[in-house]
Amino acid sequence: MWMVTLRDLQWRHRRFIIAMAATSIVFAMTLLLAGVDKSLHDEPDRILSVIGADRWLVAARTSGPFTTSTAIPASIAHDVAGTTGVSRADPIVLLHSTLTEPSLSDVNVIGYNITGIGAPTVTSGRTPRAPNETVADVALGLHLGQHVDLGGRRLTVVGLARGITYYFGTPTLFIPIVDAQQIAFGGRPLAMAIVTKGAPQRTFPGLRVMSNDQVASDLLRPLKSGTQSIYFIDILLWVVAAGIIGSIVYLSALERTRDFAVLKATGATDASLMAGLALQAALLSLVSVVIAIAVAKLLAPLFPFAVEITISAILTLTLVSMAVGLMASLAGLRRAITVDPALAFGAA
Amino acid sequence: MATDLIIEDLTIEYSTGDYVLRPIDSMTLTISSGELVLLLGASGSGKTTLLSAVAGLLTPSSGRIWFGDTEVTGLRGSDLVDYRRHTVGVIFQIFNLVPSLTASENVQAPLRAAKVKAKTAQARAETLLTRMGLADRMAHHPGDLSGGQQQRVAIARALAHDPPLVLADEPTAHLDYIQVEEILKLLRELATADRVLLVATHDERLLPLADRVIELTRRASDVTRPPEQVRLGPGEILFEQGSDGDLVYIVEEGTIELVRTRPDGSEDLLGRRGPGTYFGELAPLFGIQRSATARAATPAVLTGYGMRDFRARIGATPAQILYANQG
Repeated sequence: MWMVTLRDLQWRHRRFIIAMAATSIVFAMTLLLAGVDKSLHDEPDRILSVIGADRWLVAARTSGPFTTSTAIPASIAHDVAGTTGVSRADPIVLLHSTLTEPSLSDVNVIGYNITGIGAPTVTSGRTPRAPNETVADVALGLHLGQHVDLGGRRLTVVGLARGITYYFGTPTLFIPIVDAQQIAFGGRPLAMAIVTKGAPQRTFPGLRVMSNDQVASDLLRPLKSGTQSIYFIDILLWVVAAGIIGSIVYLSALERTRDFAVLKATGATDASLMAGLALQAALLSLVSVVIAIAVAKLLAPLFPFAVEITISAILTLTLVSMAVGLMASLAGLRRAITVDPALAFGAA
Repeated sequence: MATDLIIEDLTIEYSTGDYVLRPIDSMTLTISSGELVLLLGASGSGKTTLLSAVAGLLTPSSGRIWFGDTEVTGLRGSDLVDYRRHTVGVIFQIFNLVPSLTASENVQAPLRAAKVKAKTAQARAETLLTRMGLADRMAHHPGDLSGGQQQRVAIARALAHDPPLVLADEPTAHLDYIQVEEILKLLRELATADRVLLVATHDERLLPLADRVIELTRRASDVTRPPEQVRLGPGEILFEQGSDGDLVYIVEEGTIELVRTRPDGSEDLLGRRGPGTYFGELAPLFGIQRSATARAATPAVLTGYGMRDFRARIGATPAQILYANQG
């Protein structure tokens, strides 16, 4: 019955092309949303990997270094560094601020010890060696040697790095901790956290030790409503895609009622007719996925945010779309089974 | 192998709308291998219903159909599919070709459904279509073919498996007289010694073609028997819905109820007839089955007349008889 199925696809090609176009746009949107979601979830791991700490010590009863406003003395780093299990400890300042020059931009700021933990990996230029120097994310569109105004301080861009964003793609500036302390605490020697190489084997009064996983989870928490919205929209898009495929297959089954009756009357089995319709749904889904991948790849660079379209997302889309396509075509399949072959004897 | 088609006491009943129909009622029939038999009848006389049952597409209410050693009415599942594939070929009234397939592919479809290899199916389709005079139309879609050409493709499709039983439902219904001539020749050729050909039609041009004609439409009654008086007790039935009828009844005494049976067994009261009124004129007038059951509501006396006597008695034409009883 494959011949009948494929010929029917050719026969109704305009309808199938329109359905594929609509479905592929919906699939492309799901793929882009999956890419946004992936980026959102990867950002904390990426930034924590750049900082390179093993443990984070923050003020007790705070949620985490990125979301707290409770500072601790930077000098604690000396005490921590001397404890068992820790090979190095440095203070770190994390804040959210704005660049006023060359243009007003929201930025994350990480103030770190330029001879210690937290130095970023640059794609061009170098890391800061002295106060008033910075490494900026390429998303800010800055170039080496350019001056920027941050919290009333004039900094020179000495290095550029890629993918150092968090909080929904907000780019980051890495600056010497003294500059960050100047901006955040008026120059007082405070920090948001002490970062360590190695894990301290004891507790510290008034401090809480956090792993990278705990910090990443804390960093994601403010984005929870955003990621839930993405998930919800994703579900709606799948419903729309299922609706398109289901209605096309059902319409096809409806229009082919007499054909099915004739084919049954001439010896076709229910299973072969169902397989034919299922093949149409699967082909519709598969071709839509291929188009969707191309559309998503074209549109992804236009997003003001890194969209990660991964192989696993493509495979997931392929498998889920096939499953959704087949489930959506159940009504059409049922229609094919219930057609009475005696209908072929009808007059019109 | 020569095989006969045997129909034993076949009754087919189904509900349509608000009432129950019995187009085939206790039919018994034997058609020998090599015979071309015409089922002649008006619309609704049960021709298509009978073909559907013989094709294994409709389960009768009672009775049996045999084709050779196979009891068609007892087939289920894959046996039934095999019967439809290999034993019976059907030529449908409106061709029923699949519009997305070419003429050749339409003929190949039953073969491919039976898992015949593509090349073999293609060769068989070419042979049959060439035999039908359509060698140059194989790649055409049904929409590009004339009615006669479509019917020839449909005949080729029915012969795809070279079945020993071919059923044709109104094969000339949508054709002009030139196309009819082509189809008649083909049908005659199909009736070979090892094949039964059963053709349902209301087209009397096909009569000379047949080895035997079976009329499914009852002729209008021309009964000339003497009037017949009937006495009924309350609840007693005079005649039943779906039965044949030759007599028109005039009520002398009492009341008769006319009721129609619904598919769920319940009854609709269509009306009551009292002394001096008549009922039951349609069945003998048009040769159709009784459309309602007549039952005595009270002790009743009636006289039944043949149509000729009835008309003489009331001095009316058939149109006047119908008109007079509408109120």
